[in-house]
Amino acid sequence: MNNSQSPLEQEVAALIVQALNLEITPQEIDPAAPLYHEGLGLDSIDMLELSLAISKTYGFQLKSDAPDNASIFSSLQSLTRHIGKSRVK
Amino acid sequence: MSESWLNQKERGSPLLMRLITWITLRLGRPAGRVMLVPISLYFLLFSRRARAASRLYLRRALARKPHWLDIYRHYFCFSATILDRLYFLSGRQDYFEIDVHGVEAIQETLRQGRGCVLLGAHLGSFEVLRSLAVQFGEVPFAILMHVENALKMNAIMNTLNPDLANSIISMGSPDGLLRAREIIESGGIVGILGDRTRPGDKTLPCEFFGATAELPDGPLSFASIMHAPVALGLGLYRGGRRYEVHFELLADSLEAPRALRREIIQGHLQHYVSRLEHYCRIAPYNWFNFYDYWAPASR
Repeated sequence: MNNSQSPLEQEVAALIVQALNLEITPQEIDPAAPLYHEGLGLDSIDMLELSLAISKTYGFQLKSDAPDNASIFSSLQSLTRHIGKSRVK
Repeated sequence: MSESWLNQKERGSPLLMRLITWITLRLGRPAGRVMLVPISLYFLLFSRRARAASRLYLRRALARKPHWLDIYRHYFCFSATILDRLYFLSGRQDYFEIDVHGVEAIQETLRQGRGCVLLGAHLGSFEVLRSLAVQFGEVPFAILMHVENALKMNAIMNTLNPDLANSIISMGSPDGLLRAREIIESGGIVGILGDRTRPGDKTLPCEFFGATAELPDGPLSFASIMHAPVALGLGLYRGGRRYEVHFELLADSLEAPRALRREIIQGHLQHYVSRLEHYCRIAPYNWFNFYDYWAPASR
């Protein structure tokens, strides 16, 4: 367990678990661990689905040509930071 | 299965490939095709594993014991379509007689502004489909694939047709699928070859010629998440200069909640495989998976 998630991280963690129907609780996602492959073990289809859920909830679209995509998806922490910066709702 | 085709060394030296490219583009297709006879014979004699796979497949598709001439024809058909890629890539599709069936279904979908997934297979030539993209109007068109597999061919492709090379999206990265998403959302076409499995792919068992084969669920999962219609697209080589292109709408919508997705996809994937089987019977020598297609999944 890990209680070091910020409030927005908690919200994004809940979105990940709900959108991908994961069998863990949002609190179990380590904010610093990779989401992709090792770590949370998401595959590229999961990431796509997550990107759609993010568009719906936060009103902005992750772009394929953004140079920092690799780092955005690298952890809950960095994804949350990006959402905090880019959200329009 | 999956690993076996990955591990198969890409046969044919780059030098030989460049020589054939040169001969075909300078001296013409008939001259290039002359080279295919010894090449097919060479493979017939020396490629033990591909020969075994060809025999296994042909026994099922022809519903009889294959003769060595059948295997030769199988190889020749394969190499002929590779040679023709050079023509298609360099924009010389006018050379061929291309018979197109069922394109209306896709045109109608695109007219409604809906992007669609074009599901192909290693059955015939995907290049001929690409050369028909103009028939779909000015919609974005891209192919989602594991780029690293066809590196040698891509080098030639890059020189012949840089625009087409740019339309290839690499699968397996978040960027790649985001790009594919953008194309679907802008009403375009994303082409995917749906019949080969790679290690680590999630697969579903399907019945193909009466035995179980494992196919990846990724392409249909993608369509399902995007709520995109799925069309089958195959470009069968029918000998001489003739190609026969078949389009079929496989599913207008694959909408499925995540918990039920695999079940729903299973049905559609089986439908896709059954259609492949149908076209394999029509054009048996067009099946270009030269490994044991029915080997159990190794994960």
